[in-house]
Amino acid sequence: MLLEVQNLHKIYNSGTHALKGVSFKVDEGEFLVVIGLSGSGKSTLLRCINRLIEPTSGKVKFLGKDITHIRGEELRKMKSQIGMVFQQFNLIKRRSVLINVLTGKLGSLGVFESVFERFSADVLREAYTNLERVGIKETANNRADLLSGGQQQRVAIARSLMQNPKVLLADEPVASLDPATSNSVMQYFEKINKEMGTTVICNLHFLSLVRRYASRVIALKAGEIIYEGMPGDINETWFKTIYGEDAEEVEIR
Amino acid sequence: MIDTELELQPHSIIARRKEKEAKFNFIKSVLLDIFFVFYSLVVVQRAIYYKFILNLRDIPFSWNNILILLMISIIAGYAWTYSKTSLSARLFGISKDNNVTKWTVEIFSWFLFNITFIAGWIVTRISIIDLFSSEGIQGAERIFSALFQPQLGIFDDALFAMIETIYIALLATLISIPVTLILSFFTARNLMKENKISFAVYYILRIILNFVRSIEPLIWAIIFSVWVGIGPFAGMIALLVHTIASNAKLYSEAIENIETGPVEAISATGANKIQIVWYAVVPQIILPFLSFTIYRWDINVRMATIIGLVGGGGIGTMLMQYQGLARWHEVGLLVLMIAFVVWVMDYISAKIREAIY
Repeated sequence: MLLEVQNLHKIYNSGTHALKGVSFKVDEGEFLVVIGLSGSGKSTLLRCINRLIEPTSGKVKFLGKDITHIRGEELRKMKSQIGMVFQQFNLIKRRSVLINVLTGKLGSLGVFESVFERFSADVLREAYTNLERVGIKETANNRADLLSGGQQQRVAIARSLMQNPKVLLADEPVASLDPATSNSVMQYFEKINKEMGTTVICNLHFLSLVRRYASRVIALKAGEIIYEGMPGDINETWFKTIYGEDAEEVEIR
Repeated sequence: MIDTELELQPHSIIARRKEKEAKFNFIKSVLLDIFFVFYSLVVVQRAIYYKFILNLRDIPFSWNNILILLMISIIAGYAWTYSKTSLSARLFGISKDNNVTKWTVEIFSWFLFNITFIAGWIVTRISIIDLFSSEGIQGAERIFSALFQPQLGIFDDALFAMIETIYIALLATLISIPVTLILSFFTARNLMKENKISFAVYYILRIILNFVRSIEPLIWAIIFSVWVGIGPFAGMIALLVHTIASNAKLYSEAIENIETGPVEAISATGANKIQIVWYAVVPQIILPFLSFTIYRWDINVRMATIIGLVGGGGIGTMLMQYQGLARWHEVGLLVLMIAFVVWVMDYISAKIREAIY
């Protein structure tokens, strides 16, 4: 068992009850997709797993260890084993692509080396390898914020690969990209999942992408899991339950 | 605190937070209502009744009188909030939603605004007669005509004093940069709120900086001219102190307003605090910092001229001397020079700031 979430609750200071007792398990090598409307708690769930947000109650177990209350060095070590990719890419603007990729390694670098940017030859080589993996090696010296959306997201993927993550969290990674680019970015996640065996947990909106890439699906509605199963089993009825009566499926190729 | 929360059911946590908030709002509302009533009573009694209606020269003052007013306002303020129709109840969102509230809020707001304006008019002793008396206008004509015929004989001295002023401003700005940089990280809420010790540091630093900033550079110059003696050094330290306090606030606000995305992304890689600040915070704040600092140099040049008036050196000191001798032609030259330099600085700093963004 790679990851286990038990009865997770999150109540924000504003009083919003974003997660209401979510429990599920993730095995090694899975491509788990979380679907649900905006505001259903998908992003909160991912951020509670790697403790970017502190859960209010419940448990998260990673590699058999309870990580809900760990602190300091232990917490950083856990975070460095979990990669994360965001909807808005969250790159350091005005810095080069290479520097952005190298920041993925910060968890295992000392303060001195990182602040003075003295990266060892091994780390640099690793960064170029990962840039090559996502097919943008030639942009290494460009400023990150001048790249196209799809390229920026690939930089973000390369950054997370620097962590050699046991699990890769992706929070709506293609929601701000056009359909064609969406598909190509999703293919990199598939490649990482299939070829490197990295477990992927991904929030998605489009069902066509879910059917194509997911090995298992969880659906959230108002902070609760209302569906758990294979992507192929989501029929018209389930679709209406998850997205509401008025929803219609949009095809994305 | 966290442990006890974990044992409770989520619903009771929500209920408890709401209850706490309502209680807190009620207390705040009572205090504000008491203040409103007290303020209106004092203004109406002292400014409008004593000064305007009775036209007294010496206004009677006794602590008993103030205490009675305070007692009345405590009772009235509490009762008013308790009825949930008061202005503050509305402000803190705990009022009843009916016509009584609507009318009391509207009438009382107007009342507050009007008595404040009237009291201000009385206290300022606004007088149209003084402004347009023939004697006064003659005096103004004399000064203005002198100002526009500047005495060029002192140009060399004035130029030297002006250069001194610009250097005072420049040095105060440059020396402030490293100190302000370090302080700004410790006074940014988003970086310091995580644990109690750092939050205490944040809070204490903020209070000190607010205090320092609330004292004008002019007053700092008076203090330092006693401390290190009259002259440019006193003026420079006075500006430096105030620059640090004001820029630390601006810098730390820039830190508080950064995009949180990169911070999330970098902390998700397992980076430590220093690495997060260096990679996710610093790149976002360099430009605003630069811009604030250049703008502050511009402000400091203006301030340096004023600070000279109380012995802070530079052109201000010279201005003060000639003004004391009523030599308006010399004053005219100095005023023109100050206006010119301030205009040039304003223009340059605006251009640089434009180019940066």
